[in-house]
Amino acid sequence: MDFKFGEKEEKLRLEIREFVKKEFPPGWLSSLLEEDGVDEIWEVALATSKKLAKKGWLTMSWPEEYGGKGASLWEQLVYAEEASYWGIPGVTMGVGGVDWVGPTIMAFGSEEQKKKHLPLIASGEPDGIWCTGYSEPNAGSDLVSMRTKAAREGDEYVINGQKIWTSAAHRSRWCWLAARTDFDNPKKHQGISLFVVDLKSEGITIRPLVNYAGYHIFNEVFFDDVRVPAANLVGKENKGWSQLMHALGFERGSIGGRGYGFNKRLLDELIKYTKESGQFQQPEVRSKLADLAILLESQKLLAYETIWKMSKGAIPVYEPSRDKVLNDHIVEYMATVGTEILGVYSQLDPLHKHSRWTKLKGYVEILYWLFPGLLFAGGTDEIELSIIGQFALKLPKSY
Amino acid sequence: MDLDFSEDQVMIIDSAKRFLEKECDTEKVRELKEDEKGYDPATWAKMVEMGWMGLILPEEYGGTGMEFMDLMVLLEQMGKNILPGPYFAAIVLCSLPILEYATDEQKKEILPKIANGEEIWTLASMESSGSYEASGVQLKAALEGDYILNGTKLFVPYANVADRLLVIARTEQKENPEDGITVFIVDAKGPGIATEVIPTAAHDKQCEVMFDNVRVPKTDVLGEINKGWDVMEFLFQRGALLKCAEMVGGIQYALETASSYAKERMQFDKPIGSFQAIQHKLARMVIDSEGLRYLVYQAAWNINMGSPSALQTSMAKARTNEVYQKMCLDAIKIHGAIGFTEELDLGLYFLRTKASEFALGDTSFHRERVAIELEDQQPLFSTIGW
Repeated sequence: MDFKFGEKEEKLRLEIREFVKKEFPPGWLSSLLEEDGVDEIWEVALATSKKLAKKGWLTMSWPEEYGGKGASLWEQLVYAEEASYWGIPGVTMGVGGVDWVGPTIMAFGSEEQKKKHLPLIASGEPDGIWCTGYSEPNAGSDLVSMRTKAAREGDEYVINGQKIWTSAAHRSRWCWLAARTDFDNPKKHQGISLFVVDLKSEGITIRPLVNYAGYHIFNEVFFDDVRVPAANLVGKENKGWSQLMHALGFERGSIGGRGYGFNKRLLDELIKYTKESGQFQQPEVRSKLADLAILLESQKLLAYETIWKMSKGAIPVYEPSRDKVLNDHIVEYMATVGTEILGVYSQLDPLHKHSRWTKLKGYVEILYWLFPGLLFAGGTDEIELSIIGQFALKLPKSY
Repeated sequence: MDLDFSEDQVMIIDSAKRFLEKECDTEKVRELKEDEKGYDPATWAKMVEMGWMGLILPEEYGGTGMEFMDLMVLLEQMGKNILPGPYFAAIVLCSLPILEYATDEQKKEILPKIANGEEIWTLASMESSGSYEASGVQLKAALEGDYILNGTKLFVPYANVADRLLVIARTEQKENPEDGITVFIVDAKGPGIATEVIPTAAHDKQCEVMFDNVRVPKTDVLGEINKGWDVMEFLFQRGALLKCAEMVGGIQYALETASSYAKERMQFDKPIGSFQAIQHKLARMVIDSEGLRYLVYQAAWNINMGSPSALQTSMAKARTNEVYQKMCLDAIKIHGAIGFTEELDLGLYFLRTKASEFALGDTSFHRERVAIELEDQQPLFSTIGW
């Protein structure tokens, strides 16, 4: 065994820290959660994406021919960890641009799609920003029951239906859409196709879904006779589900690293804060912070294990679910401990974080009010636990 | 970064598995509960032949010179397949500190006898305070030509069969309780020593050892006089970590047995593992056990490399204590009423959780050590001047 990173990865860490020091004001912090929902952070994200593209980091995992660096999985892990620790916004190009839209187009897309979309994403330009249309009002955890319809008419598909919980749709130029192309096949997963949809198309309505804390992160997206060129079908008709599953593999490694980076930053902030306030001397506070530090160390090592398995050529099946459930647990625990530490000040509105009474730049409140949203993104804990049971322990399917 | 076992480690794991299955099934574990010695000398002799006693001792002392990580994987197997006996006491609690702190002469005299199975050693550290705080060390060693030891040690593993003891004693009362402690090498069968087995739930031969004017020559000291707490600090890292390894083995057993029962046991015409209430409990056990495993391995790797390991070993022990107990309880719950019976092997593990939990530091002891380390650290963000 060897728990050390290579020289290349350590060098990348230092380069990223240099970049942060140069580009961001001291103490800068933002979280993925905030990016879509807060205009001033979104502006920073847009500007930062371009800078990341210039550094070659934005799509470092992609092969060189598509504007990437062919970075190793370990370099990608370091980048994910550092970017979220330092709160670098704009790393994803909307929801999925970098992580799955690009890689799926590389794997299944046409030459035309590759030529058009890959450089747009890799450049960090606003025209390379994507949202992902998977969930529907009646197809959440049971995603394969989606009913948004794409009907072929000559050189076009006509799309009708509704997507929901579509993060960043209001910020995006494109929608990565999964729709049903075959309603007759009793095997539901064999009737789904993937499309590139221009959000400027006629017939698309994006309606904000504002959360209880006033953040506009999610949207409903309505498709009313939206005409999409047949050339925008990605890969083969009715093969969308397997392409989608294949694409999930590309983001698997980043869950743990990104989660750990952000959690570690907040823990460091909480320790510093409680040392200064004297609360660190209270047995209950120091014991909870120590507990969190232990959980975070576990989380980090599991993230490394997932990457290690991938680096040996394995396709991790349950590990990403494991990493996500653990992150959800840590985030909830940390948010709760954070509010206990800030006490009455934790009630402040995170959307008014320039108040003189705001502590720790509002990050405890942001996490506390927004973490329930994280729990649902990409699969609920219950779904993830079923995946772990089924694939790690080979237990019978439970749903 | 590489999380694979080395070839040596794979070999140790395989041979340990085969050996333990053959030599020490759970019937044997139950028999040894009632046995006066609490271990099987015939098995012990075979372990000597396999080179386990001197696994990481240098060849010049009769060992095979393997690495700390190699000992860790062996202990994990001994935790998975319970092996009652003084292995942990003799090898971890005694031979490792002796290798670290003894003089060359002492090493030459003692270590070969441990490696060849001639002598069984154990460590007498805890007293009636029941804690690992230095202030709990009150057994008095007075210098009267020789040292004269008076006092009582508790929960001394396998003192009933030990030939010699390492005894943590107070040689001076100083302001800082960590000062004034000295480690003595004592003949366990010598005059003035009385040993009585404490009736623990696991019947695992933890003893009360009473010292009544026990005379120890001035030369029979391990390490420096009044600096004996260093030896305990050494054990709070290496020893605690190896205890974690043993517990990780037990945790793996609990998970495997609960998972296979959930596949076999039918209710409502279905395996109970198909119900989410059961399956999700098992899935959480996977998360806990896998997260813990690497916490332990990473700390062991740091020790192996000679890197600072206080923070990581304490993280590992604090977490392992919690997870082992929870794991056994969840496994029992998944089994239902049968999980509560003597005939199920799971109980043998559950009965051992408390001994492991309190060995070399309980959860709050190690969590506090983590807190102290956190207090001393500068946050990462300060490295760029923030």
